[in-house]
Amino acid sequence: MELYPVFMWLHDLLESTGIGEPWSTIISYGFLAVTVFGTLSILALFLVWWERKIAGHIQQRFGPMRTGWHGWYQTIMDAVKLLQKEDIRIATRDKAVFFWAPVVCFVAAYLAYVVIPFGENLIVADLNVGILYIIAVTTFTVISLLMAGWGSNNKYALLGGMRSAAQVVSYEVPMAVSILTVIVFAGSLSMVDIANAQQGNIIFNWFIFKPPFGIIAFLTYITAATAEANRTPFDIPEAEQELVAGYNVEYSGMKFAMFFLAEFVNLFTVSAIAVTLFFGGWHGPLLPSWIWFLLKTFAVILLLMLFRWTFPRLRVDQLMEFAWKFLVPLTFANLILAGWFKYAGWHW
Amino acid sequence: MGVLKDFFNLLKGMTITGKHLGRRAVTIQYPEQKMQMFERSRGVVVLLSDKETGDLNCTMCMLCMRACPTAAIYIDAPRDENKKRVLKEFKVDHALCCYCGLCEEACNFSAIKLANKYEFSTWDIDDLVWDVNKLQDVGRDVPYVDTRKKKPAAKAAAKPAEKKADDKKSAADGAKPSAEENKQSEGDKPSEPKATDTAAADKTAPAKDEKAVDSSPDETPESDETRRSADDDTKKGDA
Ligand code: SF4
Ligand code: SF4
Repeated sequence: MELYPVFMWLHDLLESTGIGEPWSTIISYGFLAVTVFGTLSILALFLVWWERKIAGHIQQRFGPMRTGWHGWYQTIMDAVKLLQKEDIRIATRDKAVFFWAPVVCFVAAYLAYVVIPFGENLIVADLNVGILYIIAVTTFTVISLLMAGWGSNNKYALLGGMRSAAQVVSYEVPMAVSILTVIVFAGSLSMVDIANAQQGNIIFNWFIFKPPFGIIAFLTYITAATAEANRTPFDIPEAEQELVAGYNVEYSGMKFAMFFLAEFVNLFTVSAIAVTLFFGGWHGPLLPSWIWFLLKTFAVILLLMLFRWTFPRLRVDQLMEFAWKFLVPLTFANLILAGWFKYAGWHW
Repeated sequence: MGVLKDFFNLLKGMTITGKHLGRRAVTIQYPEQKMQMFERSRGVVVLLSDKETGDLNCTMCMLCMRACPTAAIYIDAPRDENKKRVLKEFKVDHALCCYCGLCEEACNFSAIKLANKYEFSTWDIDDLVWDVNKLQDVGRDVPYVDTRKKKPAAKAAAKPAEKKADDKKSAADGAKPSAEENKQSEGDKPSEPKATDTAAADKTAPAKDEKAVDSSPDETPESDETRRSADDDTKKGDA
Protein backbone atom coordinates (compact mmCIF):
# COMPACT_ATOMS: atom_id res chain seq x y z
CA MET A 1 0.00 0.00 0.00
CA GLU A 2 0.76 3.65 -0.32
CA LEU A 3 3.67 5.50 -1.76
CA TYR A 4 5.38 3.81 1.11
CA PRO A 5 7.84 1.70 -0.91
CA VAL A 6 9.21 4.82 -2.52
CA PHE A 7 9.37 6.47 0.82
CA MET A 8 11.19 3.53 2.36
CA TRP A 9 13.62 3.33 -0.52
CA LEU A 10 14.45 6.99 -0.22
CA HIS A 11 14.68 6.70 3.53
CA ASP A 12 17.14 3.80 3.29
CA LEU A 13 19.16 5.64 0.68
CA LEU A 14 19.48 8.64 2.97
CA GLU A 15 20.34 6.41 5.91
CA SER A 16 23.15 4.80 3.95
CA THR A 17 24.66 8.23 3.25
CA GLY A 18 24.93 8.69 6.98
CA ILE A 19 22.36 11.41 7.74
CA GLY A 20 20.82 11.07 11.17
CA GLU A 21 17.36 9.60 11.79
CA PRO A 22 15.10 12.67 12.05
CA TRP A 23 16.54 14.21 8.87
CA SER A 24 16.21 11.20 6.63
CA THR A 25 12.52 10.90 7.53
CA ILE A 26 11.90 14.60 7.08
CA ILE A 27 13.64 14.70 3.71
CA SER A 28 11.87 11.66 2.34
CA TYR A 29 8.49 12.96 3.48
CA GLY A 30 9.39 16.30 1.94
CA PHE A 31 10.09 14.49 -1.31
CA LEU A 32 6.65 12.90 -1.23
CA ALA A 33 5.01 16.21 -0.48
CA VAL A 34 6.77 17.91 -3.35
CA THR A 35 5.78 15.10 -5.72
CA VAL A 36 2.11 15.33 -4.83
CA PHE A 37 2.20 19.11 -4.81
CA GLY A 38 3.88 19.30 -8.20
CA THR A 39 1.46 16.83 -9.78
CA LEU A 40 -1.52 18.70 -8.44
CA SER A 41 -0.22 22.10 -9.48
CA ILE A 42 0.20 20.84 -13.03
CA LEU A 43 -3.26 19.31 -12.90
CA ALA A 44 -4.71 22.58 -11.65
CA LEU A 45 -3.05 24.52 -14.44
CA PHE A 46 -4.34 21.98 -16.93
CA LEU A 47 -7.83 22.24 -15.50
CA VAL A 48 -7.85 26.02 -15.88
CA TRP A 49 -6.91 25.61 -19.52
CA TRP A 50 -9.44 22.84 -20.03
CA GLU A 51 -12.22 24.81 -18.44
CA ARG A 52 -11.52 27.74 -20.73
CA LYS A 53 -11.55 25.44 -23.71
CA ILE A 54 -14.82 23.81 -22.68
CA ALA A 55 -16.37 27.19 -21.97
CA GLY A 56 -15.25 28.39 -25.35
CA HIS A 57 -16.53 25.42 -27.28
CA ILE A 58 -19.87 25.42 -25.50
CA GLN A 59 -20.25 28.97 -26.74
CA GLN A 60 -18.82 27.96 -30.12
CA ARG A 61 -15.64 29.87 -29.58
CA PHE A 62 -12.18 28.33 -29.39
CA GLY A 63 -10.92 29.55 -26.04
CA PRO A 64 -7.18 30.14 -25.80
CA MET A 65 -5.56 29.57 -29.16
CA ARG A 66 -2.49 31.76 -29.38
CA THR A 67 0.04 30.28 -26.97
CA GLY A 68 1.20 27.05 -28.47
CA TRP A 69 -0.96 24.38 -30.04
CA HIS A 70 -4.53 25.33 -29.10
CA GLY A 71 -3.06 27.55 -26.42
CA TRP A 72 -1.76 24.65 -24.35
CA TYR A 73 0.63 26.70 -22.24
CA GLN A 74 -1.71 29.63 -21.79
CA THR A 75 -2.20 29.02 -18.07
CA ILE A 76 1.52 28.50 -17.50
CA MET A 77 2.07 31.90 -19.02
CA ASP A 78 -0.74 33.31 -16.90
CA ALA A 79 0.91 31.93 -13.79
CA VAL A 80 4.25 33.45 -14.82
CA LYS A 81 2.52 36.74 -15.43
CA LEU A 82 0.83 36.66 -12.04
CA LEU A 83 4.16 35.90 -10.38
CA GLN A 84 5.63 39.03 -11.86
CA LYS A 85 2.73 41.23 -10.82
CA GLU A 86 2.97 43.64 -7.99
CA ASP A 87 1.52 42.33 -4.77
CA ILE A 88 -0.82 45.18 -3.88
CA ARG A 89 -1.44 45.44 -0.16
CA ILE A 90 -4.16 47.89 0.66
CA ALA A 91 -3.46 50.18 3.60
CA THR A 92 -6.59 49.35 5.55
CA ARG A 93 -6.09 45.61 5.54
CA ASP A 94 -5.83 43.44 8.60
CA LYS A 95 -2.20 42.52 8.06
CA ALA A 96 -1.90 39.03 9.46
CA VAL A 97 -5.31 37.84 8.35
CA PHE A 98 -4.86 39.26 4.87
CA PHE A 99 -1.51 37.52 4.52
CA TRP A 100 -2.52 34.12 5.81
CA ALA A 101 -5.85 33.75 4.03
CA PRO A 102 -4.46 32.59 0.66
CA VAL A 103 -1.96 30.36 2.41
CA VAL A 104 -4.67 28.63 4.42
CA CYS A 105 -6.81 28.27 1.30
CA PHE A 106 -3.98 26.79 -0.69
CA VAL A 107 -2.84 24.40 1.99
CA ALA A 108 -6.39 23.29 2.79
CA ALA A 109 -6.95 22.51 -0.85
CA TYR A 110 -3.88 20.30 -0.99
CA LEU A 111 -4.34 18.64 2.40
CA ALA A 112 -7.06 16.35 1.13
CA TYR A 113 -4.56 14.61 -1.15
CA VAL A 114 -2.98 12.81 1.77
CA VAL A 115 -5.73 10.22 1.58
CA ILE A 116 -6.91 10.27 -2.02
CA PRO A 117 -5.80 7.14 -3.85
CA PHE A 118 -4.59 8.00 -7.35
CA GLY A 119 -4.15 4.38 -8.19
CA GLU A 120 -3.22 1.09 -6.73
CA ASN A 121 -0.58 1.83 -4.05
CA LEU A 122 -0.53 5.46 -5.15
CA ILE A 123 -1.65 7.04 -1.94
CA VAL A 124 0.35 9.08 0.51
CA ALA A 125 -1.20 7.58 3.62
CA ASP A 126 -4.13 5.20 3.90
CA LEU A 127 -5.71 6.63 7.01
CA ASN A 128 -8.43 4.49 8.50
CA VAL A 129 -10.58 7.62 8.86
CA GLY A 130 -9.76 8.80 5.35
CA ILE A 131 -13.05 10.25 4.22
CA LEU A 132 -13.70 11.84 7.58
CA TYR A 133 -10.29 13.47 7.33
CA ILE A 134 -11.18 14.90 3.94
CA ILE A 135 -14.44 16.35 5.20
CA ALA A 136 -12.54 17.88 8.09
CA VAL A 137 -9.70 19.50 6.16
CA THR A 138 -11.73 20.80 3.24
CA THR A 139 -13.72 22.84 5.75
CA PHE A 140 -10.59 24.94 6.24
CA THR A 141 -11.43 26.53 2.92
CA VAL A 142 -14.37 28.29 4.58
CA ILE A 143 -12.10 29.77 7.19
CA SER A 144 -9.71 31.02 4.54
CA LEU A 145 -12.48 32.64 2.52
CA LEU A 146 -13.84 34.29 5.62
CA MET A 147 -10.32 35.43 6.51
CA ALA A 148 -9.84 36.86 3.05
CA GLY A 149 -13.14 38.70 3.28
CA TRP A 150 -12.41 40.07 6.70
CA GLY A 151 -8.77 40.92 6.11
CA SER A 152 -9.50 42.83 2.91
CA ASN A 153 -11.59 45.38 4.78
CA ASN A 154 -13.81 45.73 1.76
CA LYS A 155 -17.56 45.41 1.71
CA TYR A 156 -17.65 43.20 -1.38
CA ALA A 157 -14.97 40.92 -0.05
CA LEU A 158 -16.64 40.67 3.34
CA LEU A 159 -20.01 39.93 1.78
CA GLY A 160 -18.40 37.28 -0.37
CA GLY A 161 -16.69 35.75 2.63
CA MET A 162 -19.88 35.71 4.69
CA ARG A 163 -21.89 34.22 1.89
CA SER A 164 -19.30 31.59 1.28
CA ALA A 165 -19.26 30.67 4.95
CA ALA A 166 -23.02 30.37 4.98
CA GLN A 167 -23.01 28.36 1.80
CA VAL A 168 -20.24 25.95 2.59
CA VAL A 169 -21.52 25.28 6.09
CA SER A 170 -24.99 24.58 4.70
CA TYR A 171 -23.81 22.27 1.98
CA GLU A 172 -21.36 20.47 4.20
CA VAL A 173 -24.33 18.75 5.83
CA PRO A 174 -25.89 17.10 2.74
CA MET A 175 -22.43 16.31 1.43
CA ALA A 176 -21.35 14.54 4.59
CA VAL A 177 -24.64 12.66 4.79
CA SER A 178 -24.37 11.52 1.17
CA ILE A 179 -20.87 10.31 1.89
CA LEU A 180 -22.19 8.49 4.94
CA THR A 181 -24.55 6.56 2.68
CA VAL A 182 -21.53 5.24 0.84
CA ILE A 183 -19.84 4.39 4.10
CA VAL A 184 -22.92 2.34 4.95
CA PHE A 185 -22.39 0.38 1.73
CA ALA A 186 -18.67 -0.06 2.19
CA GLY A 187 -18.50 -0.45 5.95
CA SER A 188 -15.26 1.50 6.15
CA LEU A 189 -14.01 5.07 6.29
CA SER A 190 -10.75 4.29 4.53
CA MET A 191 -10.63 5.50 0.93
CA VAL A 192 -8.76 2.38 -0.14
CA ASP A 193 -11.31 0.08 1.43
CA ILE A 194 -14.15 2.02 -0.17
CA ALA A 195 -12.56 1.69 -3.58
CA ASN A 196 -11.79 -1.99 -3.05
CA ALA A 197 -15.39 -2.67 -2.04
CA GLN A 198 -16.45 -1.73 -5.58
CA GLN A 199 -14.08 -4.11 -7.29
CA GLY A 200 -15.15 -6.72 -9.85
CA ASN A 201 -18.35 -7.47 -11.77
CA ILE A 202 -17.32 -5.06 -14.54
CA ILE A 203 -18.94 -1.83 -13.38
CA PHE A 204 -22.00 -3.09 -11.56
CA ASN A 205 -20.31 -3.17 -8.20
CA TRP A 206 -19.86 0.59 -8.29
CA PHE A 207 -21.81 2.22 -5.54
CA ILE A 208 -23.65 4.45 -7.96
CA PHE A 209 -25.35 1.28 -9.25
CA LYS A 210 -26.87 0.43 -5.92
CA PRO A 211 -30.41 1.50 -6.67
CA PRO A 212 -31.95 3.66 -5.54
CA PHE A 213 -29.69 4.87 -2.77
CA GLY A 214 -26.46 4.96 -4.74
CA ILE A 215 -27.77 7.18 -7.48
CA ILE A 216 -29.55 9.51 -5.06
CA ALA A 217 -26.43 9.75 -2.93
CA PHE A 218 -24.38 10.53 -6.01
CA LEU A 219 -26.75 13.24 -7.22
CA THR A 220 -26.94 14.90 -3.83
CA TYR A 221 -23.20 14.57 -3.41
CA ILE A 222 -22.42 16.14 -6.77
CA THR A 223 -24.83 19.00 -6.05
CA ALA A 224 -23.32 19.66 -2.66
CA ALA A 225 -19.83 19.28 -4.08
CA THR A 226 -20.53 21.91 -6.73
CA ALA A 227 -21.53 24.22 -3.92
CA GLU A 228 -18.47 23.24 -1.90
CA ALA A 229 -16.18 24.03 -4.77
CA ASN A 230 -17.93 27.40 -5.18
CA ARG A 231 -18.82 26.73 -8.75
CA THR A 232 -21.79 27.90 -10.75
CA PRO A 233 -24.74 27.48 -10.15
CA PHE A 234 -23.60 27.94 -6.58
CA ASP A 235 -20.93 30.58 -7.04
CA ILE A 236 -22.61 32.94 -4.60
CA PRO A 237 -19.32 33.88 -2.87
CA GLU A 238 -17.89 35.16 -6.12
CA ALA A 239 -21.01 36.39 -7.87
CA GLU A 240 -19.25 38.59 -10.38
CA GLN A 241 -22.46 40.41 -11.13
CA GLU A 242 -23.00 41.56 -7.57
CA LEU A 243 -19.75 41.32 -5.67
CA VAL A 244 -17.16 42.15 -8.31
CA ALA A 245 -15.16 39.04 -7.47
CA GLY A 246 -16.24 38.34 -3.92
CA TYR A 247 -13.71 37.42 -1.28
CA ASN A 248 -10.63 37.76 -3.48
CA VAL A 249 -11.37 41.21 -4.86
CA GLU A 250 -8.47 42.87 -3.06
CA TYR A 251 -5.93 40.21 -3.91
CA SER A 252 -3.48 40.51 -6.73
CA GLY A 253 -0.44 38.78 -8.08
CA MET A 254 0.54 35.45 -6.62
CA LYS A 255 -1.93 35.67 -3.75
CA PHE A 256 -4.75 35.80 -6.21
CA ALA A 257 -3.19 32.95 -8.12
CA MET A 258 -3.18 30.90 -4.94
CA PHE A 259 -6.91 31.38 -4.52
CA PHE A 260 -7.48 30.64 -8.14
CA LEU A 261 -5.40 27.49 -8.22
CA ALA A 262 -6.91 26.34 -4.93
CA GLU A 263 -10.31 26.60 -6.53
CA PHE A 264 -9.29 24.24 -9.30
CA VAL A 265 -7.54 21.91 -6.91
CA ASN A 266 -10.81 21.79 -5.00
CA LEU A 267 -12.60 20.96 -8.21
CA PHE A 268 -10.25 18.06 -8.73
CA THR A 269 -10.66 17.00 -5.10
CA VAL A 270 -14.44 16.76 -5.19
CA SER A 271 -14.28 14.88 -8.48
CA ALA A 272 -11.64 12.50 -7.16
CA ILE A 273 -13.77 11.83 -4.10
CA ALA A 274 -16.80 11.23 -6.30
CA VAL A 275 -14.81 8.74 -8.34
CA THR A 276 -13.53 6.92 -5.28
CA LEU A 277 -16.93 6.81 -3.61
CA PHE A 278 -19.22 6.10 -6.53
CA PHE A 279 -17.26 5.00 -9.59
CA GLY A 280 -14.99 2.34 -8.26
CA GLY A 281 -11.90 4.45 -7.71
CA TRP A 282 -8.89 3.30 -9.66
CA HIS A 283 -10.35 -0.11 -10.57
CA GLY A 284 -10.60 -0.89 -14.25
CA PRO A 285 -9.36 -3.44 -16.76
CA LEU A 286 -6.21 -3.39 -18.89
CA LEU A 287 -4.96 0.15 -18.38
CA PRO A 288 -2.81 1.06 -15.37
CA SER A 289 -4.84 1.99 -12.33
CA TRP A 290 -3.82 5.64 -12.23
CA ILE A 291 -4.95 6.15 -15.82
CA TRP A 292 -8.35 4.76 -14.93
CA PHE A 293 -8.50 7.05 -11.98
CA LEU A 294 -7.62 10.11 -14.02
CA LEU A 295 -10.03 9.17 -16.82
CA LYS A 296 -12.92 8.79 -14.43
CA THR A 297 -12.02 11.95 -12.57
CA PHE A 298 -11.86 13.96 -15.76
CA ALA A 299 -15.26 12.61 -16.74
CA VAL A 300 -16.71 13.90 -13.48
CA ILE A 301 -14.92 17.22 -13.94
CA LEU A 302 -16.42 17.48 -17.39
CA LEU A 303 -19.83 17.01 -15.82
CA LEU A 304 -19.12 19.80 -13.33
CA MET A 305 -17.92 22.04 -16.14
CA LEU A 306 -21.11 21.34 -18.07
CA PHE A 307 -23.03 22.36 -14.96
CA ARG A 308 -21.11 25.55 -14.81
CA TRP A 309 -21.71 26.57 -18.39
CA THR A 310 -25.32 25.48 -18.47
CA PHE A 311 -27.08 26.53 -15.31
CA PRO A 312 -27.89 30.04 -14.16
CA ARG A 313 -26.84 31.09 -10.71
CA LEU A 314 -29.12 30.72 -7.70
CA ARG A 315 -30.11 33.57 -5.44
CA VAL A 316 -28.82 33.49 -1.89
CA ASP A 317 -32.17 32.67 -0.35
CA GLN A 318 -32.86 30.01 -2.99
CA LEU A 319 -29.49 28.52 -2.23
CA MET A 320 -30.23 28.20 1.46
CA GLU A 321 -33.73 26.95 0.82
CA PHE A 322 -32.45 24.33 -1.55
CA ALA A 323 -29.87 23.09 0.93
CA TRP A 324 -31.98 22.96 4.06
CA LYS A 325 -35.44 22.24 2.73
CA PHE A 326 -34.59 19.84 -0.03
CA LEU A 327 -31.11 18.35 0.08
CA VAL A 328 -30.83 17.76 3.81
CA PRO A 329 -34.15 15.90 4.20
CA LEU A 330 -33.52 13.92 1.04
CA THR A 331 -30.04 12.83 2.05
CA PHE A 332 -31.15 11.94 5.55
CA ALA A 333 -34.05 9.86 4.26
CA ASN A 334 -31.67 8.21 1.83
CA LEU A 335 -29.16 7.44 4.55
CA ILE A 336 -31.74 6.03 6.95
CA LEU A 337 -33.35 3.84 4.30
CA ALA A 338 -29.97 2.63 3.07
CA GLY A 339 -28.96 1.79 6.62
CA TRP A 340 -32.22 -0.05 7.15
CA PHE A 341 -31.80 -2.07 3.98
CA LYS A 342 -28.25 -2.88 4.92
CA TYR A 343 -29.27 -3.90 8.42
CA ALA A 344 -32.11 -6.04 7.14
CA GLY A 345 -29.76 -7.57 4.59
CA TRP A 346 -32.06 -6.89 1.64
CA HIS A 347 -30.46 -7.12 -1.75
CA TRP A 348 -26.89 -6.61 -0.58
CA MET B 1 -43.22 14.98 -9.14
CA GLY B 2 -42.11 18.55 -9.58
CA VAL B 3 -38.63 17.51 -8.60
CA LEU B 4 -38.39 14.96 -11.37
CA LYS B 5 -39.64 17.50 -13.87
CA ASP B 6 -37.05 20.02 -12.73
CA PHE B 7 -34.39 17.38 -12.91
CA PHE B 8 -35.48 16.52 -16.41
CA ASN B 9 -35.28 20.18 -17.37
CA LEU B 10 -31.75 20.41 -16.04
CA LEU B 11 -30.81 17.39 -18.12
CA LYS B 12 -32.38 19.02 -21.14
CA GLY B 13 -30.28 22.12 -20.62
CA MET B 14 -27.17 20.03 -20.35
CA THR B 15 -28.02 18.17 -23.54
CA ILE B 16 -28.18 21.49 -25.34
CA THR B 17 -24.84 22.71 -24.03
CA GLY B 18 -23.39 19.28 -24.69
CA LYS B 19 -24.51 19.48 -28.30
CA HIS B 20 -22.94 22.88 -28.68
CA LEU B 21 -19.75 21.49 -27.20
CA GLY B 22 -19.56 19.08 -30.11
CA ARG B 23 -20.14 21.68 -32.78
CA ARG B 24 -17.47 23.51 -34.67
CA ALA B 25 -16.50 26.89 -33.35
CA VAL B 26 -17.56 29.75 -35.55
CA THR B 27 -14.60 31.92 -34.63
CA ILE B 28 -12.49 33.16 -37.50
CA GLN B 29 -8.83 33.05 -36.56
CA TYR B 30 -8.12 36.42 -38.01
CA PRO B 31 -4.58 36.70 -39.30
CA GLU B 32 -4.62 33.12 -40.59
CA GLN B 33 -8.20 32.95 -41.73
CA LYS B 34 -9.94 35.89 -43.20
CA MET B 35 -13.56 36.65 -43.48
CA GLN B 36 -14.83 36.88 -47.04
CA MET B 37 -16.92 40.00 -46.95
CA PHE B 38 -20.07 40.23 -49.02
CA GLU B 39 -19.57 41.95 -52.28
CA ARG B 40 -21.87 44.79 -51.37
CA SER B 41 -20.17 45.47 -48.05
CA ARG B 42 -18.77 48.96 -47.86
CA GLY B 43 -15.07 48.86 -47.19
CA VAL B 44 -12.21 50.76 -48.71
CA VAL B 45 -12.96 53.31 -51.47
CA VAL B 46 -11.31 52.40 -54.78
CA LEU B 47 -11.24 53.62 -58.32
CA LEU B 48 -12.30 51.14 -60.96
CA SER B 49 -10.54 50.52 -64.22
CA ASP B 50 -11.98 49.50 -67.55
CA LYS B 51 -12.16 45.76 -67.85
CA GLU B 52 -10.52 45.67 -71.27
CA THR B 53 -8.24 48.65 -71.57
CA GLY B 54 -7.27 48.94 -67.92
CA ASP B 55 -7.70 52.70 -67.89
CA LEU B 56 -9.57 54.50 -65.18
CA ASN B 57 -13.28 54.76 -65.76
CA CYS B 58 -13.31 58.17 -64.19
CA THR B 59 -14.27 61.09 -66.41
CA MET B 60 -13.35 63.69 -63.82
CA CYS B 61 -16.87 65.00 -63.53
CA MET B 62 -16.36 65.74 -59.83
CA LEU B 63 -19.81 64.52 -58.87
CA CYS B 64 -18.39 62.26 -56.24
CA MET B 65 -16.38 65.07 -54.73
CA ARG B 66 -19.53 67.12 -54.37
CA ALA B 67 -21.55 64.22 -53.05
CA CYS B 68 -19.07 63.37 -50.36
CA PRO B 69 -20.43 64.57 -47.01
CA THR B 70 -17.07 64.50 -45.27
CA ALA B 71 -14.97 66.03 -48.05
CA ALA B 72 -12.85 62.94 -48.14
CA ILE B 73 -12.42 63.11 -51.90
CA TYR B 74 -10.19 65.66 -53.50
CA ILE B 75 -9.95 65.90 -57.29
CA ASP B 76 -7.78 68.22 -59.26
CA ALA B 77 -8.31 68.02 -63.02
CA PRO B 78 -7.60 71.19 -64.94
CA ARG B 79 -8.59 71.48 -68.59
CA ASP B 80 -5.87 71.31 -71.19
CA GLU B 81 -5.69 73.38 -74.36
CA ASN B 82 -8.38 71.21 -76.05
CA LYS B 83 -10.71 71.90 -73.14
CA LYS B 84 -10.31 68.32 -72.11
CA ARG B 85 -9.88 67.53 -68.46
CA VAL B 86 -6.60 65.96 -67.45
CA LEU B 87 -6.48 64.15 -64.13
CA LYS B 88 -3.81 65.66 -61.95
CA GLU B 89 -4.79 64.48 -58.57
CA PHE B 90 -7.42 62.20 -57.13
CA LYS B 91 -7.16 61.62 -53.41
CA VAL B 92 -9.37 59.82 -50.99
CA ASP B 93 -8.71 60.36 -47.33
CA HIS B 94 -9.85 57.17 -45.67
CA ALA B 95 -9.49 58.76 -42.30
CA LEU B 96 -12.20 61.23 -43.20
CA CYS B 97 -14.36 58.85 -45.16
CA CYS B 98 -17.43 57.59 -43.33
CA TYR B 99 -18.07 54.79 -45.82
CA CYS B 100 -21.50 56.11 -46.68
CA GLY B 101 -21.28 55.11 -50.31
CA LEU B 102 -22.64 58.39 -51.61
CA CYS B 103 -19.72 58.79 -54.00
CA GLU B 104 -20.48 55.43 -55.55
CA GLU B 105 -24.09 56.46 -55.84
CA ALA B 106 -23.24 59.77 -57.46
CA CYS B 107 -20.90 58.38 -60.08
CA ASN B 108 -22.50 57.76 -63.44
CA PHE B 109 -19.54 55.97 -64.92
CA SER B 110 -18.89 52.99 -62.64
CA ALA B 111 -15.67 54.64 -61.67
CA ILE B 112 -15.69 54.70 -57.90
CA LYS B 113 -16.77 51.95 -55.57
CA LEU B 114 -16.61 50.87 -51.99
CA ALA B 115 -14.86 47.54 -52.29
CA ASN B 116 -15.31 44.63 -49.90
CA LYS B 117 -11.76 44.96 -48.58
CA TYR B 118 -11.22 45.91 -44.99
CA GLU B 119 -7.53 45.55 -44.28
CA PHE B 120 -6.06 48.98 -44.78
CA SER B 121 -5.05 50.13 -41.33
CA THR B 122 -1.71 51.88 -41.06
CA TRP B 123 0.68 53.11 -38.41
CA ASP B 124 0.45 56.65 -39.65
CA ILE B 125 -2.80 58.45 -40.27
CA ASP B 126 -1.31 60.24 -43.26
CA ASP B 127 -0.93 56.90 -45.00
CA LEU B 128 -4.68 56.68 -45.12
CA VAL B 129 -4.77 59.36 -47.81
CA TRP B 130 -4.58 57.35 -50.99
CA ASP B 131 -3.59 58.85 -54.29
CA VAL B 132 -4.92 57.84 -57.67
CA ASN B 133 -2.34 55.12 -58.27
CA LYS B 134 -3.06 53.37 -55.05
CA LEU B 135 -6.79 53.75 -55.48
CA GLN B 136 -6.52 52.22 -58.93
CA ASP B 137 -4.19 49.42 -57.89
CA VAL B 138 -6.39 48.31 -55.04
CA GLY B 139 -9.44 48.58 -57.26
CA ARG B 140 -8.08 46.43 -60.06
CA ASP B 141 -9.41 43.09 -58.90
CA VAL B 142 -12.64 44.46 -57.51
CA PRO B 143 -15.56 42.97 -59.39
CA TYR B 144 -18.10 45.48 -60.58
CA VAL B 145 -20.88 45.89 -63.07
CA ASP B 146 -20.00 48.20 -65.89
CA THR B 147 -23.06 50.33 -66.49
CA ARG B 148 -21.45 52.71 -68.93
CA LYS B 149 -22.67 52.95 -72.49
CA LYS B 150 -19.96 51.36 -74.56
CA LYS B 151 -19.52 53.52 -77.61
CA PRO B 152 -17.51 51.26 -79.91
CA ALA B 153 -19.60 48.15 -79.34
CA ALA B 154 -23.14 49.39 -79.91
CA LYS B 155 -22.34 52.55 -81.78
CA ALA B 156 -23.78 51.93 -85.22
CA ALA B 157 -27.04 50.35 -84.22
CA ALA B 158 -27.77 52.49 -81.23
CA LYS B 159 -26.98 55.85 -82.77
CA PRO B 160 -30.53 57.11 -83.29
CA ALA B 161 -31.59 55.66 -80.02
CA GLU B 162 -28.81 57.40 -78.24
CA LYS B 163 -29.97 60.72 -79.52
CA LYS B 164 -33.42 59.91 -78.32
CA ALA B 165 -32.09 58.79 -75.00
CA ASP B 166 -30.35 62.09 -74.60
CA ASP B 167 -33.59 63.90 -75.29
CA LYS B 168 -35.43 61.81 -72.87
CA LYS B 169 -32.71 62.15 -70.31
CA SER B 170 -32.98 65.88 -70.26
CA ALA B 171 -36.67 65.49 -69.59
CA ALA B 172 -36.44 62.82 -66.98
CA ASP B 173 -33.02 63.41 -65.57
CA GLY B 174 -33.80 64.11 -61.95
CA ALA B 175 -37.15 62.42 -62.29
CA LYS B 176 -36.72 59.42 -60.10
CA PRO B 177 -40.31 58.17 -60.64
CA SER B 178 -39.42 56.99 -64.13
CA ALA B 179 -36.57 54.96 -62.73
CA GLU B 180 -38.85 53.57 -60.12
CA GLU B 181 -41.44 52.69 -62.69
CA ASN B 182 -38.93 50.91 -64.83
CA LYS B 183 -37.69 49.03 -61.84
CA GLN B 184 -41.16 47.82 -61.05
CA SER B 185 -41.90 46.78 -64.56
CA GLU B 186 -38.58 45.00 -64.62
CA GLY B 187 -39.60 43.08 -61.56
CA ASP B 188 -42.74 41.93 -63.32
CA LYS B 189 -41.30 40.81 -66.62
CA PRO B 190 -37.59 41.23 -66.92
CA SER B 191 -37.08 39.90 -70.45
CA GLU B 192 -39.95 41.43 -72.36
CA PRO B 193 -39.44 44.71 -74.13
CA LYS B 194 -41.09 47.62 -72.40
CA ALA B 195 -44.62 48.48 -73.47
CA THR B 196 -43.86 52.14 -72.94
CA ASP B 197 -41.07 52.06 -75.49
CA THR B 198 -41.48 54.10 -78.63
CA ALA B 199 -41.20 52.97 -82.24
CA ALA B 200 -37.61 54.11 -82.33
CA ALA B 201 -36.84 51.84 -79.44
CA ASP B 202 -38.53 48.99 -81.27
CA LYS B 203 -36.26 49.50 -84.21
CA THR B 204 -33.19 49.21 -82.04
CA ALA B 205 -34.49 46.35 -79.98
CA PRO B 206 -31.95 43.79 -81.23
CA ALA B 207 -29.09 46.11 -80.39
CA LYS B 208 -30.55 46.72 -77.02
CA ASP B 209 -30.74 43.02 -76.33
CA GLU B 210 -27.19 42.58 -77.35
CA LYS B 211 -26.18 45.27 -74.96
CA ALA B 212 -28.22 43.75 -72.19
CA VAL B 213 -26.30 40.56 -72.60
CA ASP B 214 -22.83 42.02 -72.48
CA SER B 215 -23.28 44.79 -69.99
CA SER B 216 -25.65 43.46 -67.41
CA PRO B 217 -24.59 40.12 -66.01
CA ASP B 218 -26.40 41.03 -62.82
CA GLU B 219 -29.87 39.96 -63.89
CA THR B 220 -29.69 37.05 -61.49
CA PRO B 221 -31.91 37.24 -58.42
CA GLU B 222 -28.95 37.23 -55.99
CA SER B 223 -27.54 40.35 -57.57
CA ASP B 224 -26.42 42.61 -54.82
CA GLU B 225 -26.33 45.72 -56.88
CA THR B 226 -30.01 46.48 -57.03
CA ARG B 227 -29.41 50.15 -57.45
CA ARG B 228 -27.10 49.59 -60.33
CA SER B 229 -29.41 47.20 -62.07
CA ALA B 230 -32.19 49.72 -61.74
CA ASP B 231 -29.94 52.33 -63.34
CA ASP B 232 -29.00 49.86 -65.98
CA ASP B 233 -32.57 49.19 -66.74
CA THR B 234 -33.39 52.86 -66.91
CA LYS B 235 -30.77 53.35 -69.52
CA LYS B 236 -31.88 50.30 -71.39
CA GLY B 237 -35.44 51.51 -71.37
CA ASP B 238 -34.27 54.85 -72.61
CA ALA B 239 -32.23 53.36 -75.39
S1 SF4 C 1 -15.26 58.89 -59.80
FE1 SF4 C 1 -17.17 59.08 -60.94
S2 SF4 C 1 -18.20 60.83 -59.98
FE2 SF4 C 1 -16.05 60.91 -59.32
S3 SF4 C 1 -15.07 62.23 -60.80
FE3 SF4 C 1 -14.80 60.18 -61.54
S4 SF4 C 1 -16.50 59.83 -62.92
FE4 SF4 C 1 -17.02 61.66 -61.72
S1 SF4 D 1 -17.98 56.77 -49.00
FE1 SF4 D 1 -18.96 58.70 -48.40
S2 SF4 D 1 -17.44 59.70 -47.08
FE2 SF4 D 1 -16.34 58.08 -48.17
S3 SF4 D 1 -15.49 59.07 -49.96
FE3 SF4 D 1 -17.48 58.23 -50.60
S4 SF4 D 1 -18.93 59.89 -50.29
FE4 SF4 D 1 -17.08 60.44 -49.16
